[in-house]
Amino acid sequence: MSEAVARLAEQARQLRNDFDAGFAEAARGDDAVLADLLTLRAEGEPYALRLAEIAGLFADRKITPLPGGRAGLLGCAVFRGSIAPVYDLHALLGHAAAAPPHWLALAAQAPVAFAFEAFEGHRSVRQGAILPREAGDFSRPFIRDFVSEGQEGWPLVHLPSVLAALGERRARRNLGSQED
Amino acid sequence: MFRGWTFGQRLAAGFGIGAATLLVVAALGFQTNSMLTQNTRSVTHTYQVQKTLTELTADIIDAETGERGYIITGDDDYLTPYRAALARVHDDFHRAQQLTTDNPSQQRRFAALSPLVDRRLAELKTGVDTRRNVGMQPAVKVVLTNLGLQTMLQIRAVIADAIAEEDRLLAVRAANTKAAAQLATAISLWGGLLGAILVLGIGWFMARSLSGQIGQAVSRLQNSSTELQAAATQQATGAKEQSTATSEITTTISELLATSRQIAESAQSVAQLAEQTASASRSGHGTVEQAGETIAGIRRQVDQIVADMLDLGKKSQEVGAVLEIVSELAEQTNILAINATIEATGAGEAGLRFGVVADEIRKLADRVGGSTKEIRSLIDDVRSAVNTTIMATETGAKTVEAGAKQYAEVAEAFTEISGLVATAAEAAREIELSTKQQATAVEQVNVAIVNVAQASKETETSSGQTLTTAAQLASLSGDISKIVLRKAA
Repeated sequence: MSEAVARLAEQARQLRNDFDAGFAEAARGDDAVLADLLTLRAEGEPYALRLAEIAGLFADRKITPLPGGRAGLLGCAVFRGSIAPVYDLHALLGHAAAAPPHWLALAAQAPVAFAFEAFEGHRSVRQGAILPREAGDFSRPFIRDFVSEGQEGWPLVHLPSVLAALGERRARRNLGSQED
Repeated sequence: MFRGWTFGQRLAAGFGIGAATLLVVAALGFQTNSMLTQNTRSVTHTYQVQKTLTELTADIIDAETGERGYIITGDDDYLTPYRAALARVHDDFHRAQQLTTDNPSQQRRFAALSPLVDRRLAELKTGVDTRRNVGMQPAVKVVLTNLGLQTMLQIRAVIADAIAEEDRLLAVRAANTKAAAQLATAISLWGGLLGAILVLGIGWFMARSLSGQIGQAVSRLQNSSTELQAAATQQATGAKEQSTATSEITTTISELLATSRQIAESAQSVAQLAEQTASASRSGHGTVEQAGETIAGIRRQVDQIVADMLDLGKKSQEVGAVLEIVSELAEQTNILAINATIEATGAGEAGLRFGVVADEIRKLADRVGGSTKEIRSLIDDVRSAVNTTIMATETGAKTVEAGAKQYAEVAEAFTEISGLVATAAEAAREIELSTKQQATAVEQVNVAIVNVAQASKETETSSGQTLTTAAQLASLSGDISKIVLRKAA
């Protein structure tokens, strides 16, 4: 027990030093070579989202179900005073629906949120670690790139294509309703 | 009919019939022989009568011859036959008369003959006296009177009739003798033959009857002898085994005697040890009471440990709750930092420094989150250890309680044991006394077993003799069976 306590004290000291050193260091000028990612898991499989493609990360937001919900649509939720539809990212990626989703990522391109079960963390990787999809064998939709770092790897979900697909589906539905 | 008869009765009957047959034949033979003897005697009698008559005739003739010689010569020497005849004639007459007393006709003839003989003798005397006194011529004249001749003729006629009568009787008696001899021969022949046949038949019947019955008896005797021999063999074997077993028992009893003595010595030692144990148990009783007080103190301390550990468990739960809050704060801080990073990125150049702060806050939140996980793991370990300790302590408390209870029972049992030890000491003394008595009894048993062993050896010897006798009896029965059953077989 005493060894664990000493280790925790060392960690606290290291945290304090790192935190202080972070403010002492000059601003980084190589942001172009780094990419910020959010890593998550859907049905046990690892995935990654570009931080630049999302507007915010939320947890335990109340999702209000909508009548006649479409496939993958969980309902709608309030994000910073705006209402946005919430889709199940698992269902969109071809996994079984997760219930209840804990985490939500709000897309930056459009007011649409995606819910997922497990959030792993924030990770900054070099641009060189992002490889095209052909480097791996991925059958899931909306996967264009693949992040490989050391022994780990994450399929990179391309949210703009997801939003484009949802827009196309909505357009076809609207067109169908007009024809009716 | 004869099945119920004994051997003696059968033999008596068989020999009785044979003897009766012989008696009948003997009686008939005796009777026939008597008849034959009687007839022979009669014939001899007849011959004596005839001889006496002939001698009587010869006597008269001798007297007549002497008288005539004296008359002619005058010499007295010629009177010698005369005088001898006079001396015999009456005797012969009387003898012949006596011999024919059973015959009346002969008696009548002798009655007629007697005066004739007397007269003839008187005539002869007259002639002799005349010759002596007168002379030869007068004497010749007397003879020439022929009176003597006539008398002599009458005498000869009477004697001839008597002899004829005797000849007739002789013929009759010879015929009777012949018939008696034939009858005796027939009786001897046919009686002997009949007796032989009867004896043979009785012998055959007796042999058949007795051989069958004796054969069965001998067969049963042989079987019994064989069974007796087998029983004697078994008895001899049993006696031998008994003798061997008795010897072993003797050895065992001797060992038992030695063991009994050792047990007596051991019992004496046990009695001493029991006395020492009783003394030790009395001193141990005080030690047990002190140990009971110590166990009560341990029980109170364990109860205090259980209370402290329960309190530690509650505190660990409170620390866990605080850690949950810290973890939640770290997570929220992480989210805020991520969102701040996003906002800083959207702010462009102006948000660079804010982005740095947000990134550091995020890193800090990440590391806090990791630390909270570690602390939660440690807290979980502590709680698990506390729970384990509580359970172990509770188990220990129960064990101590059970131990205290058991110790109370042990103390009570010890008290009881102390009493029992005293009783055991008393019992050990009694055992010591009993084992000494037992050793004495075993010595007596040893003496008795030695006597039994001697008797067993004698029984073994007797069994051997019985076996020999049974074998001889079986051999004898076999010999008798061969003798008796040879014909039957």
